[in-house]
Amino acid sequence: MSLKRNLGLDILSEKYAYATDETTGYTSARKIPDNWVATTCGYCSVGCGMFVGVKDGRAVAVRGNPAHPVNSGTLCPKGLAEHYTLEAPNRAKYPLLRQNGRLSRVSWDDALDALLDNFLAVQGKHGPEALGVISTGQLVTEEFYTLGKLVQLGFGTSNYDGNTTLCMSTAVSGYKRSFGSDGPPGAYEDLEKADIILLIGANIAENHPILCQHLEANPRKTLIVADPRVTKTAMMADLFLPLKPRSDIALINGMIHILIQAGMIDRDYIARHTTGFEELAQSVRKYTPRHVSEITGLEEELILKVAFIYGQAKAAFVGWTMGVNHSTKGTETVNAINNLALITGNIGRPGASPFSITGQCNAMGTRESGFTSSLPGYRKFENADDREELAGLWRIPQERIPAARGLAYPDIVEAAVKQQIRALWVIATNPVVSFPNLDVLRQSLESVEFLVVQDGFHPTPTSELAHLVLPAAIWGEKEGTYTNSERRVSKVNPAVNPPGEAKPDFEIFLAVAKKLGCYDELFHGWTTPQDAFEEWKRVSAGRLCDYSGMSYELIEQHGGIQWPFPRGAQEVTTSRLYSDGCFQTEDGRARLFCAEWEPFPEQPNREFPLLLNTGRTVEHWHTRTKTGQVPILERMAPNAWLEMNPKDAHQLKLRPHDRVDVVSRRGRIRSVELRVTEIVAPGQVFVPFHFVESNANQVTQSAFDPISREPNYKQSAVRIEKSEKARELRGKARPKRRSLWPRRQSNGSL
Amino acid sequence: MQLPLLQRATDGDTAMCVLALAEASEVVNDDSGFAEVLPVDSSSRIPARSPGAGEQYRFHFNMGKCIGCKCCVVACNEQNGNPAEINWRRVGEVEGGWYPNTRRFHISMGCNHCLEPSCLIGCPVEAYTKDSATGIVQHSADACIGCQYCTWNCSYGVPQYNPERGVVGKCDMCHGRLAEGREPACVYACPEEAIRIEIVNIEEWKRDYASANAPGLPSADDSISTTRITLPRNLPPDTRKSDIYRIRTEAAHWPLVVMTVLTQLSGGTFATLWFLQIFGTSTPLTTAALLALLVGGLALGASTLHLGRPVHAYRALKMWKRSWLSREVLLFSCFSAVAGVYAALLTFRLPGSFSVGALTTLLGIAGITASAWIYRVPARPAWNSRHTPIDFLLTGALLGLLLAGACGVVSGPPLTMGALLAASTQLLNQATKFLWMTASESHELRSTARLLSTTLASQFLTRAGLLIIGALLPLFSQGRRLTSTAFALALAGEILGRYLFFVSVVPKNMAAPYLAAEHRGA
Repeated sequence: MSLKRNLGLDILSEKYAYATDETTGYTSARKIPDNWVATTCGYCSVGCGMFVGVKDGRAVAVRGNPAHPVNSGTLCPKGLAEHYTLEAPNRAKYPLLRQNGRLSRVSWDDALDALLDNFLAVQGKHGPEALGVISTGQLVTEEFYTLGKLVQLGFGTSNYDGNTTLCMSTAVSGYKRSFGSDGPPGAYEDLEKADIILLIGANIAENHPILCQHLEANPRKTLIVADPRVTKTAMMADLFLPLKPRSDIALINGMIHILIQAGMIDRDYIARHTTGFEELAQSVRKYTPRHVSEITGLEEELILKVAFIYGQAKAAFVGWTMGVNHSTKGTETVNAINNLALITGNIGRPGASPFSITGQCNAMGTRESGFTSSLPGYRKFENADDREELAGLWRIPQERIPAARGLAYPDIVEAAVKQQIRALWVIATNPVVSFPNLDVLRQSLESVEFLVVQDGFHPTPTSELAHLVLPAAIWGEKEGTYTNSERRVSKVNPAVNPPGEAKPDFEIFLAVAKKLGCYDELFHGWTTPQDAFEEWKRVSAGRLCDYSGMSYELIEQHGGIQWPFPRGAQEVTTSRLYSDGCFQTEDGRARLFCAEWEPFPEQPNREFPLLLNTGRTVEHWHTRTKTGQVPILERMAPNAWLEMNPKDAHQLKLRPHDRVDVVSRRGRIRSVELRVTEIVAPGQVFVPFHFVESNANQVTQSAFDPISREPNYKQSAVRIEKSEKARELRGKARPKRRSLWPRRQSNGSL
Repeated sequence: MQLPLLQRATDGDTAMCVLALAEASEVVNDDSGFAEVLPVDSSSRIPARSPGAGEQYRFHFNMGKCIGCKCCVVACNEQNGNPAEINWRRVGEVEGGWYPNTRRFHISMGCNHCLEPSCLIGCPVEAYTKDSATGIVQHSADACIGCQYCTWNCSYGVPQYNPERGVVGKCDMCHGRLAEGREPACVYACPEEAIRIEIVNIEEWKRDYASANAPGLPSADDSISTTRITLPRNLPPDTRKSDIYRIRTEAAHWPLVVMTVLTQLSGGTFATLWFLQIFGTSTPLTTAALLALLVGGLALGASTLHLGRPVHAYRALKMWKRSWLSREVLLFSCFSAVAGVYAALLTFRLPGSFSVGALTTLLGIAGITASAWIYRVPARPAWNSRHTPIDFLLTGALLGLLLAGACGVVSGPPLTMGALLAASTQLLNQATKFLWMTASESHELRSTARLLSTTLASQFLTRAGLLIIGALLPLFSQGRRLTSTAFALALAGEILGRYLFFVSVVPKNMAAPYLAAEHRGA
């Protein structure tokens, strides 16, 4: 600090001056940009419209787009501070190649040569399928489409999946099984129009706060929340169902049973648009209120009440997120939810939808176009007509298109451990923090001969292990489209240049294609994302996710357009799928799949008596590579914590703010700050998963949904120990006089 | 939103409605008095007109609507260009009830633009003004000297010191935006419309400001906060701050530790010299007087180091009519000047030293008392008691006597008995204060006692030990060396005591989040 400052002559008046911006009004002068660039938020799948303020080539401010149909001008705290991610100190700026054990800077040309040499060497020696690719939900649709073609047709490996399998594949599988295709049928507007909203395992107040606006806009609703933890969302509920972990299938089957018994079902809809009702009715017979009460821990009266409220609804909305998806029974749970909607005809109408609230900003984009668990345009690998159609569109022999999907994410990880996958390309994801059972993941990454990490950030816990780091542009630096949870395709625009030599992923993929020699065949003449978009429009034409009537201009004009939007579509309005009762199955009828409740795989025992659930906090995004670099977000949520009920804390002689270790059969999370709270039930504990410093995945299990391959992150059996370090440091801070503690009014429960 | 957790009687006539009603009713509070009053124009977040005569703007916060997303915090920081560590708007948590009838609410708070703003009243330089048209309490960075007294005065922890600038800053309700007819940044950013601006009739509010109170907030009595808070119905009766178990020490303010102890030492020494004069001492008092004068000068110099803008220290004289800080500066300035004359008269054995000495003593005591009154602020309960002036005056008495003894101007029973009396009274003062805090209902006072008996226990005991040894040593021998040692030990004890005074105070504040870093005044 200068002398003038120390004396008090200088108080940085210029830095702290205010001025009036013609658009946003009176504000901090240095936050007033030269121009505002319209774009879409790059965090979650709510898909808020926003502007980035650019001044002298730097992003200095953001603001919500007041005209945007999703958010009407508001943003969540992450979005409000999103411009800081662009200049985060951990941005990847240059290609880095591991030489003599250390990552050192190389040219793009050398970097891509290294990528090609190593990938092709591995593929030459072990077959094309020895290359695995793990991507993300963070790229733009144009990039997903390009990457899919590059990997499946260029490199010829089908062992390609996205981190979307860690969050959304269950919803995808459930939708495919019930309706014949992926694609959430509803719209956010349904939150405003439904008279019953049932949220299962979805804490939207924490994870999708801007959606709460749509809830608030609905004065008639009855909000029912089913969650084992008293989340912020549960506290908003009119009726809260504090059910036992992973008992949701029983609850839904119980509701279906009651509704059938009471005749509160839409027999006409069932007869005309579904198959499998008799089997379903048979299979739910054992889910009597008493049986469901035993499984869920909810009172019989409450179960009856919920069923009747749902049954009486004119329009019922069921929303879910990770409480349902992160489960070995996830796909079946989604089917059960769909069953509930189908037998009551609560689909395809305003307010009526079984609705998966998606996770990442463009998880939907990779589901539509990505060539991972489906062929582009929700086409099926196993369907010869679909393959033929694509081959025709791409003018390639049909045999080039795989007839079965390759390995899913967890299976790629396992194949790498088994040395069946020898080279791995990880794009815009951070498995060292996000993949369950960290030890297996580490072994996997360390087993491959060549690990490429392409990311906007370096170092990340994953990029530190890489042989090659490719620096990528991120949100705010590139162009394309995102699709949000309600199938709204929104435009993303570059506001600033990427740092250093970082490039948009689109350019990286094309550069790889050129070196690989497949550019002319697969991407002839492409230079910009719009080229990919134009081809994708043709490929999606006639499919459920039909983009063919859209253009970049039209999307920008309307703040996003929901698909399907076929060529010739005139009006941009709220759209819902299956309004006509025609589903994407061969016979056009939805399938009612029987779903059976089962206990979760890892039951607590004497050694590991507590049940660990994981989740999020509003301030952070996924593995914190971005939000961990934003000072205001870090200040508001600086570290992980473990929630524990006072009864358990009392038994373990633990106090608020103690440092504790979470121990499972797989490993140990060290030194987490304890939060003693009635938010969690006795016997259960909760930890947020964002923090690499307290990595929840050190204790989570390798258990996956057999259909969707999504991990069962929740319900790990653990025990809690007082941390060693804390025990040493403890000493003085310990209260010696209990009488000095603020006394709480006892309800006799302690 | 405003419902008991397990059910709202959506269909109260159904037979299914048995539920866990018994459980629910346990946490159901009588909602009289908590009834929600909707603003007249609920579609707008700011009033359509400006406040008229006898009115002002205020915040309305709907606790039942807030989902704790903290958008307001980020928006406020962006609006004002503040660094992440400074948050003019903060969000805290309160929690109550039992699983599954648990409820956690959030409190979002900027400045409450109080009717009797304690920040303004305490400010020595008139950096604060309460706008006559809008009632907004505004702060001028240009006028501020960075003394941070306002950060001690506000019961809500609203003003925050920005070390980068050397001045304090606070929420001004985005007055510039209001003037343009725009919502303040926090109001605009709230996705739940939980924050609004309203117009309040000042006289009516003065008569009944009960809805400025909420669990997790200090009483609005301290300054008559104007923020109206709509509480959720069915607030569990045990709803309390969720950060209640996290008790941290405050900043030590070393310049102030040094300044207060040394001004007291200086004042005490001059008082001792004057008393000796009364009793007709024949010993020359020059050395002691000059030493005391030097110490006093050092103390005043040290005090400016506490300021963010030392060069503007003189401005602190401005508000002597209202601010105890101004009065302290004024009294000690006079004290130094008169003490200088007194020392000169003693040195040159000129006449009039007795009456000037009397004035010096008087100004010293007055200065020390003013000093103590600075700390008598409702926002800092452990300071806000008669123990503080007693503590300060006794420090002066004990150290002044021992310094005089060390200089050889006093010895025998006056020294031994005087020191013993001062030290034992001080011990008694500290002990009664500790017991008073321990037995208190106030969370802040109990927390201070807890800090002193846990984290700070060894310092607390050492301080008492030094006091005892310092007072007892002269009993054994009154040689200059031993008395000097006694003085040094007692000085160390008082400095440690003053350090504990600053670090152990637990200020009133709004509820904080469970995890986030504590806001500190300085």
